Amino acid sequence: MDARHIIARRCALELRDGEVVNLGIGIPTLAGNYLPPGLSVILHTENGAFGYGPKPSTLGADSDMSNASGEPITMPPGAAIMDLATSLGAARNGYISTTVLGGLEVDQEGTLANWASRRNGRWWPGIGGAMDLCYGVPRVIAALQHIDKHGHSKVRKRTELPPTGRRCVKVIVTDKAVFDVTPGGLVLREAYPGLAVEDIRAITEADFTVADNFGPMPV
Amino acid sequence: MSINKVMSLDDAMARVTPGTRLMMGEFVGHGEPAACIEWLIAHNVGDLTLITNTPGLRGASPMVGLFGAGLVRELIGTHGGTSAEASDAYLSGKMKIAQFFPMGTWAEKVRAGGVGLGGVLVPVGVGILDAEGLFPDLGTPKRTIELNGQSYFVEEALRAEVSIIKGWRADRLGNIEFRYTSTQNQRDLAMAGRYTIAEVNEIVEVGDIPPERVGCPGPFVNAVVQGYSLAEQHARGRELMIKLGRLPPLSDEEDS
Repeated sequence: MDARHIIARRCALELRDGEVVNLGIGIPTLAGNYLPPGLSVILHTENGAFGYGPKPSTLGADSDMSNASGEPITMPPGAAIMDLATSLGAARNGYISTTVLGGLEVDQEGTLANWASRRNGRWWPGIGGAMDLCYGVPRVIAALQHIDKHGHSKVRKRTELPPTGRRCVKVIVTDKAVFDVTPGGLVLREAYPGLAVEDIRAITEADFTVADNFGPMPV
Repeated sequence: MSINKVMSLDDAMARVTPGTRLMMGEFVGHGEPAACIEWLIAHNVGDLTLITNTPGLRGASPMVGLFGAGLVRELIGTHGGTSAEASDAYLSGKMKIAQFFPMGTWAEKVRAGGVGLGGVLVPVGVGILDAEGLFPDLGTPKRTIELNGQSYFVEEALRAEVSIIKGWRADRLGNIEFRYTSTQNQRDLAMAGRYTIAEVNEIVEVGDIPPERVGCPGPFVNAVVQGYSLAEQHARGRELMIKLGRLPPLSDEEDS
């Protein structure tokens, strides 16, 4: 299983039965494929729906049903449509309890950066709905690979990228570890099976302590 | 009794000329007024200021053609990178994006423009989006005010000379019905345009759209134009999703 799917599957285990959840673009969207049996969540998408369903068949696809990534979705019984201002208002005002967001970097204060990197002297690509979610959703789960393609830790002491939200992340899920973000700093809760605390320290720039119940990531 | 807003694409789109400040419905390639966009590209109407949520969907949604053809001088929205065509225009300096707005902020700015407000007070992004040097093309710095102990951006209303929205069905009065997530903020965009064109899949008789299903009332619409039929729109959408690998090719599906 590749890193993206490891992260997505582990994120799905963080969701709580009955809650309203927004899954961001990329890895978080994949988490929708790994919901544990029996877990029932109401999925929110920024473009304006609660309770949307999985990807349709090709012939069953309806071009007026899409998620925030522009991917085809379905509208099972119980789904509800709303307009855009209402949908983002729901995010700002706390009607969504958990969001899983991808990230370029996250730091030990729980600050998430996921909307801008430097290209040709400009910040790119843009914000979309992520900043509204970071502002108003009580439980932000950052889903990202532990190290970037140059081998640098994406779990930083302090991110220097423009933030999406400051001190908003509560849980960090990577392909190597799960951290809780607490007022006292990062707490390592799980490591990928076979990895020891020292292995995580070696690939993590951020400072962290180790949870009393530290154990292997369920895979 | 003789209100009839149905008109030809040519007659309606004549309102859009080089340099027009234009609003358009859209969300990552969905709910786009495809026929109107194709008209703009065919007539090479450029120098546009385009107020739209995101710049289309990479690959082939109609809107990306506006960026590919270099018709957009400035984009006012939430994102610059949902299509390669828009990214290239922005990163090469050919298209201006003075700042990115959080989507909720952008939606409220449009809504404010539609309902006669001067603007809105938005707490999202304070202390982030006003960082010095973040948006070098921004003329004046973002304004904040304090209210009841919280800081808010003062976000001005957005309005346009012409708005183009995309609906499902319309009658000759300009009443528009939307389908599912293509509802977006099409009604707010309609209200914020001085002249509003609604492209629809189907034009129906007055009374066919039940009053409670009218998503955008006729008084907010000046012109109704016939776009692609719903069947054509679905077929085009399917083709695009297959091309992007988001849906399996039909032959695969039939085999499985």
